[in-house]
Amino acid sequence: ERLIKKELESIKEQVASPNTTMRQMKEIMVRAIYCEMLGYQASFSYIHAIKLAQQGSVLEKRVGYLAVSLFLNETDEFLLLLVNTVLKDLQSTNLIEVCMALTVVSQMFPKDMIPAILPVVEEKLTHPKEIIRRKAVLALYKFYLIAPNQVQHIHSKFRKALCDKDPGVMTASLHIYLQLIKENPESYKDLTGSMVTILRQVVGGKLPLDFNYHSVPAPWLQIQLLRILAYLGKEDQGTSEMMYDVLEESLRRAEMNHNITYAILFECVKTIYTVHPKSQLLEKAAECIGNFVLSPKINLKYLGKIPPYDHHRVSGPL
Amino acid sequence: MIKFLLMVNKQGQTRLSKYYEQVDIEKRPSLETDVVKRCLSRKKEECSFVEYKDFRLVYRQYAALFIVVGISDTENELSIYELVHNFVEVLDKYFSRVKSKLFFLSSQSELDIMFNLDKVHIIIDEIIQNGHIVETNKNRILAPLLALDKMAEAH
Repeated sequence: ERLIKKELESIKEQVASPNTTMRQMKEIMVRAIYCEMLGYQASFSYIHAIKLAQQGSVLEKRVGYLAVSLFLNETDEFLLLLVNTVLKDLQSTNLIEVCMALTVVSQMFPKDMIPAILPVVEEKLTHPKEIIRRKAVLALYKFYLIAPNQVQHIHSKFRKALCDKDPGVMTASLHIYLQLIKENPESYKDLTGSMVTILRQVVGGKLPLDFNYHSVPAPWLQIQLLRILAYLGKEDQGTSEMMYDVLEESLRRAEMNHNITYAILFECVKTIYTVHPKSQLLEKAAECIGNFVLSPKINLKYLGKIPPYDHHRVSGPL
Repeated sequence: MIKFLLMVNKQGQTRLSKYYEQVDIEKRPSLETDVVKRCLSRKKEECSFVEYKDFRLVYRQYAALFIVVGISDTENELSIYELVHNFVEVLDKYFSRVKSKLFFLSSQSELDIMFNLDKVHIIIDEIIQNGHIVETNKNRILAPLLALDKMAEAH
């Protein structure tokens, strides 16, 4: 503990010194991050983190933003000081700076300043580079989480993101949609067809190969889609009927011997039990759970014991 | 959702911590020590998911490092378990450009993290935001950091 106190003293001195270069400041920030990680507050360095983000060159700026995201929280007044820097970087010609500004915005942003930044972020939704579009969508997701009424008027833009030709941008929009659909499934039933189509394409291996994880196509995306379908199909026979095929396909395809396919299977089973029941599917799902419970792999046994279903329903059609 | 991600060694020293829910800075060391104690006390035959207070822990061990993720009830444990592995594979891809051995099997990995704390954070920022998984494509996760490195080199 003495060592840390000494380190903090040294940092305090160095950040205050006018001779410290931005490059040095970057190193100092990382050390400050360390101290805080070990439980020792270094609040005197917060303002300097912001300065680093403002004045540093690209990598230094990124570390400045990182330090801010670790030191501060949403309600901190210091965050207001960052807004101008973020605005400037969002409009930079250097795409790396735009990316990092969008990343910071997605992590924390003062609610009251959203109107100031919203138009700039919205503009990025149509940027030629997919990474910028994707990060802009995630920033809007953040805005939706902290101030949903501020983004009411741009729901049509979310739709565009859902249909974006780049799968990364589409995936980003699913975060917003999962939230929207969870809160109000009725208003989004019309998206069922699109969700089913997307899942079918993913499961069918239509994504570029680098979206694979151990030969499984975009597993976390599959899981996200399965969750969305669960909300859409719940207590709604018509909507559920639209998804039975793709659910069956997912069950079938995920029959390889890897943890991640089991994760997909688990989610698929959960969805099958949540939506309007179809006996064939329920049977297959029950078989799946049975295999989990019987498996020698301890992690699978654990999953088999979690009840994703309503007991009442299981005994019915079976 | 993901509440936090920790990389802690067997001695209980935190090598990296990332919180997606507000936890007071003074409370973190004790939470982290407690969490690692729980994971260390697990026998080999027990599964990698632990009930902890009112949420769950998913942990995975790589050499001397434990990676522990705190998750809410609604999260799919096995998908997080594999997310951790995907993350480690990304670290391996990034760091083994300069070293020839496999990152996650070597005891060097702890040092790599300590000496590159900022970079590991930057990588995690690409994968998880607001407690949600936002990117899992390894190339896309690394692209911003690689671009940063390139720009930094040029100066």
